[in-house]
Amino acid sequence: MHKMAVGVQSKNIINDEYPVEGFEMMRRAGFTCCDFSLNDYLTNTELYKYCKNGFFDQPVHELKAFFEPHREAAEAAGIRISQMHMPYPCYVPGAPAKLNEYLAKVVAPKSMEICAYFDCPYIVVHGFKLAGVLGSEQAEWESTEAFLKTLVPMAEELHITVCMENLYTSCGSHIVEGPCCDAVKAAARIDRMNAEAGSEVFGFCFDTGHANLIGLDFESFITTLGSRIKVLHIHDNDGIEDLHQIPFTFAKGRENKASTDWGGFIAGLRKSGYDQALSFETAPVLSAFPDRMKHDVLRFIAQIGSFLAEEICLDKCVYTA
Amino acid sequence: MMNIVCVPTGLIDLEHPQKGIETISESGFDSILFDMAACCPPDELEKMGKPGGRIDDSRYPAGLAESIAPLLKQCLERKMHISIVRAPRLFRNTKRCDLTDVLSDLAKECIKICARAGCRQLIVSPVFAGVPHGTEWDVNRKYYLGLVNIARENDVTILLESQFRDMNGHLIRGICMDVNETAAWIDRLNRDAGEERFGFCMDIGVCTICGQGVQELTMTLNSRIKAVILRDCDGQHDTSMLPFTCINYGHLQTDWTGLILGLRENCYDGSLIIDFGSNTMTYSHLLRPQMLRMAKMTADYFRWQIAIKAVIKKYDKRVLFGAGNMCRNYMKCYGREFPPLFTCDNDENRWGGQIEGLEIRPPEALRELEQDCVIFICNIYYGEIEKQLRQMKIRNPVAYFSDEYMPPRYFNGIEGKSVTKND
Repeated sequence: MHKMAVGVQSKNIINDEYPVEGFEMMRRAGFTCCDFSLNDYLTNTELYKYCKNGFFDQPVHELKAFFEPHREAAEAAGIRISQMHMPYPCYVPGAPAKLNEYLAKVVAPKSMEICAYFDCPYIVVHGFKLAGVLGSEQAEWESTEAFLKTLVPMAEELHITVCMENLYTSCGSHIVEGPCCDAVKAAARIDRMNAEAGSEVFGFCFDTGHANLIGLDFESFITTLGSRIKVLHIHDNDGIEDLHQIPFTFAKGRENKASTDWGGFIAGLRKSGYDQALSFETAPVLSAFPDRMKHDVLRFIAQIGSFLAEEICLDKCVYTA
Repeated sequence: MMNIVCVPTGLIDLEHPQKGIETISESGFDSILFDMAACCPPDELEKMGKPGGRIDDSRYPAGLAESIAPLLKQCLERKMHISIVRAPRLFRNTKRCDLTDVLSDLAKECIKICARAGCRQLIVSPVFAGVPHGTEWDVNRKYYLGLVNIARENDVTILLESQFRDMNGHLIRGICMDVNETAAWIDRLNRDAGEERFGFCMDIGVCTICGQGVQELTMTLNSRIKAVILRDCDGQHDTSMLPFTCINYGHLQTDWTGLILGLRENCYDGSLIIDFGSNTMTYSHLLRPQMLRMAKMTADYFRWQIAIKAVIKKYDKRVLFGAGNMCRNYMKCYGREFPPLFTCDNDENRWGGQIEGLEIRPPEALRELEQDCVIFICNIYYGEIEKQLRQMKIRNPVAYFSDEYMPPRYFNGIEGKSVTKND
């Protein structure tokens, strides 16, 4: 029997009017953790259109009051908020400076406050996508780092680890690697920034779907980052689009075997001694299936989580694709 | 000067190569890459030593040279240079983990063939079959260093290439796909060889399929890149289409901008290998000559675009011809590093004025130039302007500038337009 926690993102499960139902559904499905989708309150689709709603204009005490029922419902259901997703992008290329200033100076700090309010230890933050504009990955990283450093005092005070995530970007309509896709560089940068801060304020979020889109070697990537990986975004796709589907569902060959390297994922986490939550980022699955099947689908995802946990906890690899 | 190389997939009949070589030559190519997989294909290697296999101990590996003897003869007669050879390799999803020694012997035989053909570069894929995770370097170090002596004797450079891994039909990153690791491998192999005996063959098709950051990769590997394979694909399937032909909803699938800017920044002067084998396999043989000419023009275009910075750098003194947007873009990107003396324009209303701080003079001013000063034409009417210059009896070197591929950082700044897919 494994001891790892299994979680799922709150998007498409939690209803703000009545959060008890969603957290209770998570519990019944077999989850013990939740990745709280704070990004659902200021969406990327709005931001890429250079628009914003007024949600984060509310003072922190009002935001806390808004999320009080959520916190209580999670606690009542025995669900731990194990990670949170800050709204993204954190910088919109080409947007008016006012919007980017708002993201950095209002949304980011308030997200940290909300994260702490949920006693959540990890917040996932997207790096800036500026390599094309600035001419190099290094210049892009320097912009991201300058932003991340503004979060250090709050991260220290609130005991939150800020996790950067492997992202993609696009060339025409084709997906290519984006920020944080070089494991060696990411590890070195996290170590340096933590050393400068004097505490472990930065970590990594490994996103299986994003990694699959650019054919990363899962095992090698995960083992290179090792204990710096604090949280996961587990989901699957066809290697073409970022579909956020249920693991093991995509096959390409006539043998109909999984075309995502789940064996490498398990081996990497096992070698790294990963012992944090196995968290699924599979909200689109819930909008695709009929509402009446939501519980069954969630239970299936939780069972996959249990399977992965058991495999990771074994001494040697059993699963082969 | 970059060497343009044609991949003759589907164009040459090994037993009767005359017609194929003739067609390639008539299209303007004078150099080809020869893939020894044509003589020793992966499916035959897969069956090697088993019932039904064609390759047996009596034909391998010396039989390779025999197989391409007619081709070598024709190439010699038609002055077609085999400038790069590619060694045989296994299927990506091979079940044969016992053929490392066979592959090594085949690579050695290919080196001898290179020597006979006057070829100086051999592409050798890394060994991957049956290699446990984490031991790739140790296995491949031994494999590649085993080729050093014979490569040295025959003055052949071994080019490593990236290796896909077949994840049940999904092509993902395998050996030599991590750019920093690949650079380290090549440096270490060269150190161990005691000379520059190893380099890298960059395949833009592989970069596209695995979503690699092309400009970053190019600039990191830098002078280790000795050959570049130009081919287009849909980003999913390992096909070789003519560059600029794979389009999805009006968008290119391959990052040609990243490739051109990266190689330009490196002042790349290695081989440009144009591979459009998927097209030639399906086109009517009646249309192939036209397609080959198009391929040659495309390769020439790449060579011109990539070489722009190297050409600017080559001359100590330079002037521009044209005072429009192209001139402005020259000044934005290269004006500081390579300042021109002045620009000139046929529009007399602009004479005496300035553009980006650069004085605009009449074309007559070009008569006073020192002989070693180059004139960069910054106007798409290249031919007409060059003709005008020659009619003016101006003997200075003339080069064509282009602003089609320019680093965005000079134009947009951090607030610039950026179109990306949403996470």
